Amino acid sequence: MTTQKITDSPIDFAEKIIEDVKNSKEEGVLKCVQCGMCTSTCPAARHSDYNPRDIIERVLEGDETIIEDDNIWNCFYCYTCHSVCPVGNSVCEVNQILKQIAIENGIGYDKLYEYMGFADSYFTAAIGAIPERFFPDIDRDVPGWWDFRQNLDEIRTELELNPPLMPSEDVIEEVSKILTITGFKDKIEKIRSTEEEDQ
Amino acid sequence: MKNVPTEDILLFRSCLVSVEYPGVEASTKFVFDKLGVDYEISDKQTCCTGLGHYSDVFSQIDTTAIGARNFRIARELKRPNLVMMCATCYAINKKSVKLLNKKDDLRNHINELFINNGLEHLTYEKDDLKPTENIFHVVDILYARKDEIKNHVKYDLSGYKIATHHGCHYCKVHYEDTIGGVRDPNVMDEIIAECGCKTIGWYDHKRATCGTGFRQRYSNPNLSFTATADKMNAIDDEDVDILVHLCPNCHIQFDRYQHLIAEREGRNFRAVHLNIAQFLAIAMGGDFDKVIGVRAHTVPVDSVIKDLKEVEK
Repeated sequence: MTTQKITDSPIDFAEKIIEDVKNSKEEGVLKCVQCGMCTSTCPAARHSDYNPRDIIERVLEGDETIIEDDNIWNCFYCYTCHSVCPVGNSVCEVNQILKQIAIENGIGYDKLYEYMGFADSYFTAAIGAIPERFFPDIDRDVPGWWDFRQNLDEIRTELELNPPLMPSEDVIEEVSKILTITGFKDKIEKIRSTEEEDQ
Repeated sequence: MKNVPTEDILLFRSCLVSVEYPGVEASTKFVFDKLGVDYEISDKQTCCTGLGHYSDVFSQIDTTAIGARNFRIARELKRPNLVMMCATCYAINKKSVKLLNKKDDLRNHINELFINNGLEHLTYEKDDLKPTENIFHVVDILYARKDEIKNHVKYDLSGYKIATHHGCHYCKVHYEDTIGGVRDPNVMDEIIAECGCKTIGWYDHKRATCGTGFRQRYSNPNLSFTATADKMNAIDDEDVDILVHLCPNCHIQFDRYQHLIAEREGRNFRAVHLNIAQFLAIAMGGDFDKVIGVRAHTVPVDSVIKDLKEVEK
């Protein structure tokens, strides 16, 4: 049995989550009664060791090691827990906040390497394109997909879609500037350099 | 029910619709034109960041700053009603409007970044947009105009067995604004009924995720496809011909990976996959190549929808 010292303040961790910019549930996390409705409806809990009820238990115990737990990366972001919670908590949102805290602390970068393509397509085209490193997998799993992608322009022309797929240079420039001043660009460069060191 | 506008609409372009199922955009325009919805598409609007956001690459500040720029574009066009074809764009933008209105620190921080870097023209004032009054999904608009649908139906699709998949980021994220129920979602079933078709209604796992799970599909495909199999098995148990959905993420998961999941499950799944706008556009006589965009589909739409029968007037 662990001993709780009177000077310990396990609620600090929960308060940090409540104050996070992403939190839309006010003090929802403090209202958790551990009923387990989240876990009983969660697709990740159904098919893996992910356990949303346990995440909130650990948060309320002030167990900050949870940001290093690989299991948190199994959430589908389907918001089912968020939509059924009887006290208005959202484990889905708490999960996203935990991951952002992890990333701010340089944890979990390896989980982001594959997704750097989303950053690149924003700086080059202001769109969120599926990262090219997944193309070989998609080509293997989806017959005809590569051919379809080669014919995309022709298909779009036949559908008379306007405006064109790519925004103009000035739009791309403005979006790139926004993502530079928010600190996004620096963060991406830091993750990239860590990936190169890892290899 | 919330008040839903049918004018001053900025139809918000979706990256996944644009490059994976462009027929969803063509079908939405086709149906909106039939129903007399006033909309415009802007070449200045950019991606909501959703895919990067839910892969944990974009922080809330990155996403909301990009959102603020898109909201400014909508207001400058005097089209403050953003209507999304993608459930993720819908959830992302609605959350950004909520946060910008409610969290003074966040709004001030983003505005200061804009002002200090020569982007004053993008600043967002509190309540420039309202989450419930200005942020919609295409299904909200279709539902608001649903009495008009039957006047434009050309083909009778009632002979097919139809089920709906409602998309978590439409139903569950901002559930206070969801039309037609959250635990037993029915907004699309009601829209489809206006075409003279009765869906199968409830089925096992009706409210469950498509299984995409953003990073799960690419980094954790086993987990992703196992969750999708729950749904596909339930759909096949009901012998469904057409599964109708409202989000390109779900569309990719079902249409692109159906054969792979069928192989894994040792079954022969045969449903075809249509966005609600494509379903309505077919019923209203849209051309398969010029409006529905069937060439983008992996499961051939004509493997199920072969002969179209005109409705008896």
